[in-house]
Amino acid sequence: MKVTSIEIHSSEGAGQALESNNRPAEGKKEPVSWEEIDGENTILLRRTLRSCQSIRYPGHIVIMGDVNPGAEVVAGGNIIVMGNLRGVAHAGAGGYEGALVAAFRLNPSQLRIANHFTRAPDGNYPEPQQPEIARVSGGTLIIENYHSGSSKLFNL
Amino acid sequence: MGEVIVVTSGKGGVGKTTTTANIGTGLAVMGNKVVLVDTDIGLRNLDVVMGLENRIVYDIVDVVTGNCRLKQALIKDKRFEDLFLLPAAQTKDKTAVSEEQMRELTQQLKEEFDYVIIDCPAGIEQGFKNAIAGAQRAIVVTTPEVAAVRDADRIIGLLEAALLAEPKLIVNRLRPSMVKKGDMMDIDDMIEILAIELLGVVPEDEAIVISTNKGEPAVLDKQSKAGEAYRNISKRITGEHVPLMNLEADGFFRRLRRLFGA
Ligand SMILES: Nc1ncnc2c1ncn2[C@@H]1O[C@H](COP(=O)(O)OP(=O)(O)O)[C@@H](O)[C@H]1O
Ligand SMILES: [Mg+2]
Repeated sequence: MKVTSIEIHSSEGAGQALESNNRPAEGKKEPVSWEEIDGENTILLRRTLRSCQSIRYPGHIVIMGDVNPGAEVVAGGNIIVMGNLRGVAHAGAGGYEGALVAAFRLNPSQLRIANHFTRAPDGNYPEPQQPEIARVSGGTLIIENYHSGSSKLFNL
Repeated sequence: MGEVIVVTSGKGGVGKTTTTANIGTGLAVMGNKVVLVDTDIGLRNLDVVMGLENRIVYDIVDVVTGNCRLKQALIKDKRFEDLFLLPAAQTKDKTAVSEEQMRELTQQLKEEFDYVIIDCPAGIEQGFKNAIAGAQRAIVVTTPEVAAVRDADRIIGLLEAALLAEPKLIVNRLRPSMVKKGDMMDIDDMIEILAIELLGVVPEDEAIVISTNKGEPAVLDKQSKAGEAYRNISKRITGEHVPLMNLEADGFFRRLRRLFGA
């Protein structure tokens, strides 16, 4: 199986550039094309992404760690975080609406799937207490509890 | 052979210089031979905090450019025989020193001293890279504010990338009353995000301001809470096990209560 570019970088302002708007995350980088999402094309990251670090991958991304505030994850396919997702996540970055974002604690400052966009409410809000999953349904981005049946969604 | 410890933060004004002066002095009180290195070139103030400003003749740039010998530039503290300061240059900028030069300098210093404590400038540019170049351990200072913690996280990422593993955290300027009211981030929240070991918590304390102006580190002031926190931190640096002070423990008690569902 062809593993295309994986890039973990830590560059000046990588996090901040995204905070204020809903531009697609590509910037100067190669756009992630959804044709490249073959069901198995997945990268496993065994670390925490800290502020201003980011990972972009054309396939799926699984992170065994946290995604801290100010960090960014961009995938052509799904994003699964086994820890606390507090930064920015963009699944289906090439336009694939079937992409999902699941996290042990789904607490992103900004969440995008394909061209849909949502952000954390301003001010204080209660943190999630259980794993959750975000997806596009009926043209909007929805977030629901992750339960034993939810894994079926990954096969769509 | 001594140890080189860099004190860093990302954000400015969170207490790197205060921390460097206090743990350096604290370690000297315990009988260690210590040198403090100010790498904040162009914005030096460790000399002021130590009350040694009027003694500066040569500085770090003079040393690395061979303008003087290392011994000539080291300023002896007025209170302790075995405490020295290598001041930053005031008139140059941060590119006046290279990472390679810093590695050589710290190598030389740790042959003479038990502890080489490096005061890092704010930011992530050349000054930061210079400050960490020769270090074996890192202390990250933050205040209980979202922006400072964000920068600390960034810095920890850069330290990890530079293979300066397992940096330790100091939380400075904590105000327990504000934490109690929920108006300030508590220790738990910070540790949960940063996921590094806590070296100590220093409370907000007027004694720091007074001592800074007098050029006398608060660690010498037996009445000061911040001084006590810095004495504890100094001991922990040498490997001594010192439990967290009452005020330091506030956050942990909260977690206990949370576990019990109260
Ligand atoms: N625990 C504290 N309580 C009160 N004031 C403090 C404390 N720590 C630092 N300060 C003050 O904050 C200011 C910035 O501290 P400094 O050590 O110079 O920060 P940095 O070196 O990170 O820029 C100084 O005026 C200092 O006196
Ligand atoms: Mg300073």
